[in-house]
Amino acid sequence: MAAVTTPAHAPLGHAHASHADTPHADHDNFAAQLRMNRLGLWLFFISEAFLFGGLLAARFYLWGGTRPELDQNIGLIVTSMLLVSSISMRIAETAMERGNRKAFSFFILLTAIFGLIFMGGVMVFEWGLFPAIYQGHLTPWGDKYGAIVFAMTGMHALHVISGVAFILIVWNLARKGHFSKERHWGVEACAIYWHYVDVVWIFFYPALYLIGNVAHVTH
Amino acid sequence: MLKQNGYGIVVFIGVLLAILTVVEYFMGLYHVGATLLMLMAALKAILVLYFFMHVSRLWTAEGDH
Amino acid sequence: MRLTSLGLVRGLIGYAVGLLLGMAVVVVSRLLMGMSVWEAEAAWVGGVFFAVIGFLGGVGALSDWLKWTRGAETPLLHGPPADKPAWTRYFGVDYNHKVIGIQYGVTGLFLLLIGGSLALVFRAELADSGISFLQPGTYNTFLSMHAWVALAAILLGVGGMANYLVPLMIGAADMAFPRLNAFAYWINVPAILTLLLSMLFGWDSGWTAYPPLSLRGPVGYQLVFLSIFSIGLSSILGSLNIIVTMLMMRPKGMSLFRMPIFCWAILATSLIQLTATQLIGQAFLMLSFERTLGMPFFNPLYNAAGENIGGQPLLFQHLFWFYSHPAVYVFVLPGLGIISELLPVFSRKPLFGYRWVALSSLAIALVGFLVWGHHMFTSGYGEYLRVVFMISTLLVAVPTGVKFFSWLGTLWGGRLTFPTPMLFTLGAISVFLIGGLSGPILATTATDLFLHDTYFVVGHFHATIFGGFVFPFFAAIYYWYPKITGRMYDETMGKLHFWLMTPGFWLMSLAQMTAGTMGMRRRIADYDPALGVENVHLLVTIAGFVIAFSILIMIYNLFTSAEIGATAGNNPWRSRSPEWQIPSPAPEHSYARPIAVVGEPYDYGLAGSKYIASMGAGDD
Ligand code: HEM
Ligand SMILES: [Cu+2]
Repeated sequence: MAAVTTPAHAPLGHAHASHADTPHADHDNFAAQLRMNRLGLWLFFISEAFLFGGLLAARFYLWGGTRPELDQNIGLIVTSMLLVSSISMRIAETAMERGNRKAFSFFILLTAIFGLIFMGGVMVFEWGLFPAIYQGHLTPWGDKYGAIVFAMTGMHALHVISGVAFILIVWNLARKGHFSKERHWGVEACAIYWHYVDVVWIFFYPALYLIGNVAHVTH
Repeated sequence: MLKQNGYGIVVFIGVLLAILTVVEYFMGLYHVGATLLMLMAALKAILVLYFFMHVSRLWTAEGDH
Repeated sequence: MRLTSLGLVRGLIGYAVGLLLGMAVVVVSRLLMGMSVWEAEAAWVGGVFFAVIGFLGGVGALSDWLKWTRGAETPLLHGPPADKPAWTRYFGVDYNHKVIGIQYGVTGLFLLLIGGSLALVFRAELADSGISFLQPGTYNTFLSMHAWVALAAILLGVGGMANYLVPLMIGAADMAFPRLNAFAYWINVPAILTLLLSMLFGWDSGWTAYPPLSLRGPVGYQLVFLSIFSIGLSSILGSLNIIVTMLMMRPKGMSLFRMPIFCWAILATSLIQLTATQLIGQAFLMLSFERTLGMPFFNPLYNAAGENIGGQPLLFQHLFWFYSHPAVYVFVLPGLGIISELLPVFSRKPLFGYRWVALSSLAIALVGFLVWGHHMFTSGYGEYLRVVFMISTLLVAVPTGVKFFSWLGTLWGGRLTFPTPMLFTLGAISVFLIGGLSGPILATTATDLFLHDTYFVVGHFHATIFGGFVFPFFAAIYYWYPKITGRMYDETMGKLHFWLMTPGFWLMSLAQMTAGTMGMRRRIADYDPALGVENVHLLVTIAGFVIAFSILIMIYNLFTSAEIGATAGNNPWRSRSPEWQIPSPAPEHSYARPIAVVGEPYDYGLAGSKYIASMGAGDD
């Protein structure tokens, strides 16, 4: 038997119609696929919630009512960065929903920039990767505070970076003419993924910066 | 129900989140304890889930946005 | 046909290339950071990480997604490749859920054989006291490998049943996300390779990999961590796919409570896999980082003042068992679903208490999240926790009991027939009963303080796993074999398999439990003959060999019957389930037209009742 193909079901929601029999059937297919995609992505979020929840559990298990000495200003600044990035991401998505591609491109790139600033803040100040700029005092191997801070921010940072990559892919596709007002699952997925990463930080921020008394560790 | 899809609501929720974050920060300064801070985080998270991630699209039919 | 046109071969090449590349990356970065260039552990960690990715790239599991990032169209191919023999599709990326189901199932069986062989080796060592041919370190490596290989086999077997059966049972054309489905299968293959590679170095903690031991042992641990992490990723993505498929792709008329009961079992299983798996992934990742970077999550670290500024070993146990207890339900719930699925067919009666059985799967899954501490009674955690976890554990017996009563109620007054699948179903019930009854004994803190880490536990979980997975899995294989191959297996050989394996297993698990109560510890290569357990051990070993032999009979049967078995026909078991209303072997596109459900699934023997519209179902 020869290989046969069925029409591509526009994976990321391309603008042009696929080759289904009638426009009506095409619309139904797209709607059904969209519903499945959404549920799938949300299930993925639920799954990841257990990962981040596990990290939080480890934090409370090891630190209890204490926390490391972290620069509060840095905490506030990176947190606001993620917050404004979420706002600009939501604006970008709304722009796409209204067919305003220019605004979309602008705001989604802005989101990526905010995300990168967040990453910069984490790497320079929380991790102290560039001692020339800022002398961090935590190391992953120093004690339980360093270990957990690096584990939580590291796992989160991995998601931020993948989010930025996702943004760049979607931005590039949009630039090439993909997506439309009605069909832009790729944009939607990218947006809610980004917000999800923000939600994670909403829990991590107090867990790392606010809860408990500062512990002064002697080595 | 609040309309989820204007630019206005996005900015409004954004400002609300910012205010909550400041409140949260001061709650931290005054050591209100883990429970209240986590509840505050949950409140912020719900706002994001509902208004930014439009979770309700999971159960409302497609085509009404 | 060129060899490299086989996905598997390209994957293996990718694995090797990735391994070297990863090692090079580690070496170069160590060079740049001014460290000693070669450190075996770091090199292997980097190597294996890249190797897994290399395999996935080589086999082609990532190709379509990479195309999507460029906006390219990726049509779904159906059917065997046009320019190659049909069998080649099983050795490369294929998106058909039936192909993927077979890939899962066959890989699972293969691993079962490897895992079983490892067990035979160390069982032979235990047959008498004294060290005969396995040194304690090697013994522990074999034992630990046996555990994870067998667990991987189970996860793959579960994946096989779920992938093959669920879309068929709900009349869906395929899974919701076919590419994700293929990815979730293929990531298992490099993971298994990595797991097997770990034997090169050895590792000796048993499958639980408790620190601090697992932080000190040989490099083999790192490979195990990465391997299990990948298999966990497969569980997560696979279960996500199944849940979406089941919730979104049911046909007209099939409400949740009209799904075949196996689907309920898989739904509950998938919910566990989707969520709990993250915790073992995280725990193993933390172990890996603690070993590589010295991040003190689990090892205590004392400062000059004598305070612990490092980690705590018990944290690992919590994280580990938060997955690994629910995981035992991942192993058994699908099998229990198979039992509930087959009993009505072979007793020609409705399934007793369908709704209760459906909900009991969910209940077991949910309560299963609250009981992990029963593995830690002797760990030294807070004493009050013992009470909490004892009570919650004993609660699981309630929904489990529901299933037993449903099975009895279904059998009661039925017109029973006993072909091989039915025999294995009944065998499963008997074996699961042994396992289930030994559970509460362990769940009671007072008795567990004596039985913990003895062979009683070994007996307990082998009985639950064989009763809950192995027996039902074999039942499923015999039962759906005609649908898969279009031919009947050999009934005589099937019965022989059953009558060797079942008494063999009863003997084995009762003997294991006896050894445990006599004081035999688990995970040691030798024992004091003064315990008086030598004869018991000999029995266990003999029974183990009998079971292994019987499984070989099955393999032989499956291979030969595919060629010479009698033609099976569409519906040899006169089942009402949709998959039996289509031709055997199931065609490429399972259902020519969408099906519609018009009645209850298990109304066997009720005159005029129908499950599926206009497909000729429901006669009896
Ligand atoms: C019927 C209810 C069950 C109860 C009350 C129960 C209870 C227990 C308890 C208390 C232990 C810990 C014993 C110890 O280490 O001292 C245990 C171990 C174990 N159980 Fe169960 N169990 C039940 C069902 C199952 C099922 C269905 C499985 C499925 C496969 C299973 C698999 C295991 C495994 C693998 C271990 C040993 C883990 C290890 O230490 O390596 N159990 N069980
Ligand atoms: Cu358990």
